[in-house]
Amino acid sequence: MNENRNSKELKKEYWKSLKDYNNDPDLLKIKANEFLEGVTEDFDESKLSGLSRRRFIALLTASTAFAATACTDYRDKGEIIPYNKRPEEIKPGKANYYASTCNGCAQSCGILVKTREGRPIKIDGNPEHPINNGKICSKGQASILNLYDPERLKEPLISGRKSGWENIDKDVITLLDNARKNNKEIAIVTSKVISPTVKKLLDDFKTKYSSTKIYSIELVGDKLRSEAWFESYGSYNYPAIKFDQANIILSLDSDFLGNEGNFIENMQKYSSKRDVVDKVNFNRLYVAEGRMSATGMMADYRISISPDRQYQFVMMLIKEVLKSGSSINLSNDIINRINSTNTDLKIDRSKVNLLLKDLIANKGKSIVYAGDTLSKDVQVAVNFLNEILGITALYDYSSVFKTFIPYAKNEEIIKLIDSMNNGNVDVVIHLDTNPVFILPGDMGYEAALKKVSGAISLTESENETSAVCKFVLPVNNQLESWGDSNIRAGVYSLQQPVIAPIFNTRQKESVLLTWISGDPSVYKDDLYHKYLINSFNTGIYSAIKNSADEKTFWYSALHDGFITFNEENKIANFNFNSLTNQSNFIETNGYTLHLTEGYFVGDGRFANNGWLQEVPHPVSKVSWDNYASISPLLAKELNVDMDDVIELSANGKTFNVPVVVQPGVAEKTINIELGYGRTVVGDVGKGVGFNPISLMSKNLSSSPFVISNITVKKTGDKHKLVSTQEHHSLDDTFVKDFHRIRKIIQEGTVEGYKKDPHFLHHEKHDIFGITREHKYTGVKWAMSIDLNKCTSCTACVTSCNVENNIPVVGKDQVERGREMQWMRIDRYYSGTPDDPIVSNQPMLCQHCDNAPCENVCPVNATNHSPDGLNQMAYNRCVGTRYCSNNCPYKVRRYNFFDFRDHFADEYYQNNLTALVNNPEVTVRSRGVMEKCTFCIQRIMEARSDAITEGRELKGSDVVTACQQACPTNAIVFGDMNDPESKISKMRDHNLAYHVLEELNIKPNVTYIAKLRNTHPEGN
Amino acid sequence: MSVVDYTQELSVVEGKPALRSLDDIISKPLETRPDKKFYIALSITLSMLGLFVIGLGLTFWYGIGMWGNNNPVGWAFDIVNFVFWVGIGHAGTLISAILFLFRQKWRTGIARFAEGMTIFAVMTALLFPLIHVGRPWLDGWLMPYPNQHGLWVNFTSPLLWDVFAVSTYFMVSLIFWYVGLIPDFATLRERTSTKIKKVIYSTFSLGWRFSNRHWQHYEMVYLILAGFATPLVLSVHTIVSFDFAVSILPGWHTTIFPPYFVAGAVFSGFAMVQNVLIFVRRIFNYEHIITLDTLEKMNKIMLVTGSMVGYAYAMEFFIAWYSGVQPEQFTFLNRAFGPYAWAYWIMVTCNVITPQLFWFKKIRRSIPVMFIVAVFVNVGMWFERFVIVVTSLSRDYLPSSWAYYKPTYVDAMILIGSFGFFFTWILLFTKALPVVSIAEVKAVVDDAQPTHKDH
Repeated sequence: MNENRNSKELKKEYWKSLKDYNNDPDLLKIKANEFLEGVTEDFDESKLSGLSRRRFIALLTASTAFAATACTDYRDKGEIIPYNKRPEEIKPGKANYYASTCNGCAQSCGILVKTREGRPIKIDGNPEHPINNGKICSKGQASILNLYDPERLKEPLISGRKSGWENIDKDVITLLDNARKNNKEIAIVTSKVISPTVKKLLDDFKTKYSSTKIYSIELVGDKLRSEAWFESYGSYNYPAIKFDQANIILSLDSDFLGNEGNFIENMQKYSSKRDVVDKVNFNRLYVAEGRMSATGMMADYRISISPDRQYQFVMMLIKEVLKSGSSINLSNDIINRINSTNTDLKIDRSKVNLLLKDLIANKGKSIVYAGDTLSKDVQVAVNFLNEILGITALYDYSSVFKTFIPYAKNEEIIKLIDSMNNGNVDVVIHLDTNPVFILPGDMGYEAALKKVSGAISLTESENETSAVCKFVLPVNNQLESWGDSNIRAGVYSLQQPVIAPIFNTRQKESVLLTWISGDPSVYKDDLYHKYLINSFNTGIYSAIKNSADEKTFWYSALHDGFITFNEENKIANFNFNSLTNQSNFIETNGYTLHLTEGYFVGDGRFANNGWLQEVPHPVSKVSWDNYASISPLLAKELNVDMDDVIELSANGKTFNVPVVVQPGVAEKTINIELGYGRTVVGDVGKGVGFNPISLMSKNLSSSPFVISNITVKKTGDKHKLVSTQEHHSLDDTFVKDFHRIRKIIQEGTVEGYKKDPHFLHHEKHDIFGITREHKYTGVKWAMSIDLNKCTSCTACVTSCNVENNIPVVGKDQVERGREMQWMRIDRYYSGTPDDPIVSNQPMLCQHCDNAPCENVCPVNATNHSPDGLNQMAYNRCVGTRYCSNNCPYKVRRYNFFDFRDHFADEYYQNNLTALVNNPEVTVRSRGVMEKCTFCIQRIMEARSDAITEGRELKGSDVVTACQQACPTNAIVFGDMNDPESKISKMRDHNLAYHVLEELNIKPNVTYIAKLRNTHPEGN
Repeated sequence: MSVVDYTQELSVVEGKPALRSLDDIISKPLETRPDKKFYIALSITLSMLGLFVIGLGLTFWYGIGMWGNNNPVGWAFDIVNFVFWVGIGHAGTLISAILFLFRQKWRTGIARFAEGMTIFAVMTALLFPLIHVGRPWLDGWLMPYPNQHGLWVNFTSPLLWDVFAVSTYFMVSLIFWYVGLIPDFATLRERTSTKIKKVIYSTFSLGWRFSNRHWQHYEMVYLILAGFATPLVLSVHTIVSFDFAVSILPGWHTTIFPPYFVAGAVFSGFAMVQNVLIFVRRIFNYEHIITLDTLEKMNKIMLVTGSMVGYAYAMEFFIAWYSGVQPEQFTFLNRAFGPYAWAYWIMVTCNVITPQLFWFKKIRRSIPVMFIVAVFVNVGMWFERFVIVVTSLSRDYLPSSWAYYKPTYVDAMILIGSFGFFFTWILLFTKALPVVSIAEVKAVVDDAQPTHKDH
């Protein structure tokens, strides 16, 4: 009323309407209330908390006072700088993606780098890339951690002391000039060159410094394969294999599905003939190998054979295939050679007969593929065998592996070392390579390098080579670099930086360009960038004659990350005489050591990557170590078991290594993986594994990786190996075949499935619950995993690690069984120890409808969402671990420590490494349970996008990290309530089953039973 | 005298002591200064308690990772100790409440002490749920309380039932114990000459004047409380067993658990009471109050409950076989023949075989032998919980996640420390409160009650 009077007295200066001006009583009534009638209808006072305003203020002040006085010791979180000038194209909270090329190995897969607020946080495959089709391996996934490795070199060093780039450039240029003047050799040691621009750059370098020689080296690489190809076909450029068109594949000690060649591409092609969704038209995989490889686990038939018997094995196949009739006329020399080889191998003939029958019946549709580590004579013999099998159709000449600079021959390297020792080499430039580590120990590279005054190492972090180099120059990480690659004919990939160099590092090509110019002041950050554009314009752009202008074409190529074009490739003629050109095969009888490349550390370059060290080995599930895998028979003979150290001697050198008793390893074969046992490396890689390179010799008769006639003995020492899965002896009847008995793994044969598609569900009985079932309407998330396609490559595990900020826990914690990976790949053996059948199964939270974890949580920290997710509220979790105890799949992971500061003395607890974290995912602290969330952050993002776009959320909008990474698309994710979705088709598939179905917990992860393409019984 | 008169009730208190002498002898430890032996004993238990504190300090500072728990084995020593101590806490209330309702007069000599042990054992046990969580500073969330988030505890979780069951049991036991103490506090009030003690005893005796009305009310309250406590004796371990029985883990998911756990708890509780009382009666010269007959009766209860436990072990195997469920069958085979077979056979030896010695009267009445047998029972009952918790977890459904559990030094510190915690309380108890109920014992001395015999 008071107000009313006042308003009457005061002359109204502003009025909204005439009613307002006239002080209409209705309007006054409305104005007396703050809100219009109806506005506050939803506002129910009784539903509010009983806290009065005074009380609230009192509490607020009290808590502020407490906070101010009690929490003054908070750690300084550093400066926070607002985007008061927002960089173009960066929207806070929205990720940007850049196409680039992976430098993790020589395969140069196309990648898509996800950046948030300017920092790269995830690497995935570039979905449009023609070779890897949006997929990338574990190494590529985890390589993002290398960018944020706290032990990266930050400053250039001279003799271990910090120095400036200018000084170093000046010194090196003087050295180079002197070398040229005195005609002393300048050696550039590089890993395999995959880039036409780098090739050009090296040529320019050679032009300027005429005494330069270039040595291309790799630890394993495709050296033997390309050299054998050269002998057979006269070219180093060998074709890719059309595994997708092969009915019969015979892999000879090759891990083409594990870590050889572009295994991502191989897996995709291989698994395209392992599809059960529409028509079952399987290929058949035979594997003849000495070790147990990831490929061997997939085999329909596996033949254990020592790698130094492979030559005889191939010759036997050639002999038998020729016997069956061949149209090719062979010279007597060749026939003599074939007939004179002893092919009496004393191996199980039944499998070999099936193999021969298949090979001959599928001529032109079958492929024999030899491993990278097998000697040239085997490779040539395999080329021969493929020729007589009429394989040419399966050679993909449109996609050959190119060689820009052939690998340095053994003799060349030995000569280089000699010259280094004699003082004839003034400068050695190491381009991101580590010859001290990867060259055979008896070559004496390290000692020779110490004698070179101008030893230069361009590297990302300290290694064995940089430790003996005077000049150590830190180079950019792949995510800070420009580059290109044309490793495969017809595909030109571009690499672009996604972040400015974090430290005082330079792109290695720019460093060389500066030295070519002879003037340190020439250096600019974009030196190589311009050189690359120039090379692009003069090279590829002018070659393909695109109608777009240079700049447009460059930017569109950069946007896509690659260009495809037609690159002419001659289909070469096979030189049958290459078979007889090989030195005579020498039969051996002793133990054979087979060295193969590690699955995750590569040639040792990923040794300081905690994620990769912790990923369990695909077969043995051992992490943080390499080991000698030996056959159960040899273990019995030596009386050793896991963790026992054995001594291997070869070429007068001895080497101690712990063993893993690996079912399926050939009786006299010992397999050790390379890349471990780095000595000059960051804290993560220090003391991890053993380096068997010392057993390799420069006097290599055939293959440096197959060392015959070694002696083995037990030492009595122990070395603790840790694995994420217990090792049971296959003889142990107490726990034998549990995965089959408990129907964890369900399998069948292709024949059986064709006869009876419902074979899986015959024994099924109805399970009913006594409680009311919850009805899910709307989207309900579910996943299916096709066990036919899973090769246990663990790309999913690593992708999940990166996406979900999974901490590295270290060897001691893995030993205690506290690894944190949300996803694991279980491996089960059946059959006999000598001839095991391996089954793999990715295992993650099954998001059960009747989740047993949920009802036991005393604080409701884990509960169910309306869209069928089993959720975990970290903030609410007090950490009783009851949920984990009650989870039949044991997929919950508990933070026994604050793993971020627990690992290696807070190694990853620093401002730099923290940048790798996905900002959308909570970083969990100690005492909290965690588990797979079905990538809830991606679901939420898709949902918010759908809301923004004003449409319904669809199941296909969400791609989980594991699904995105799975090279074979074995993982399908989506909305099971959508009858059209792929996931509902998979769930209804005849081969679909749930693990531990009889518990009636209704898991939402469906597995598709594996079919083995074996011959019908009795045939 | 060679003919035994079976109609004659055995004397509960031997030798018909004068009532005044009972006052004297029971309150003597409270009126004399502790001797050297007491201090030695206290220093030992305090040292053990020190280990407890250090162990907990390490756990709180670094995390549960200091223990041996791993991924399949989420619970180990923490919950084993919890169940063990809750079990120990079973004898007291059983003796004071259930045996009271059954008019077992022999209970009077041991009831007070057993109740005290119940309180201390449950206190020890209650520590474990609080410390076994990953973020112990959030323990309060285990209690339902209204809050601004509208968040409640999960009432379907057996862990929550545990919180209620054990805390209720603790509260009721404490009240029951205290009510029994009131007349004794009054007696002590009358006897003491120091001023401070007088104030304390006066306060706690709540103005007790030994009047008839007081006694009438007291008897009624005591009876009601006994009736109230009796179901709790059975319920608390039943609910503790639900922690396991309600889960789906083979080896845990068993309907026999509630009676089996209760029997086991009484079994271990009696063993612990017997162990401690053997010392008490000796040190305080209570041999005529806590008689050999009483000890023998306790041994008989151990024989009964031990056999029940043995039956449960056998029945678990039978049901596992009968169920036809492979994981269930394997779990039990694995207990007996798997990597933890050693623990299983320790359990069977201690819990099933050793108590069978009590069939022999000589052994039942031989103090050194019965002491050793009871120690075995305690060890065995600890291992029983270990077998249930750890072996079941270490090998469950998926062989891929199996792992062997090994305790760490911190686990050992906390286990030893829990004994230190418990016995420190026991020692302080013996010097602070009458360990035998003065009022009740007087009532069961021969001829203390009016009889019609001689009239």
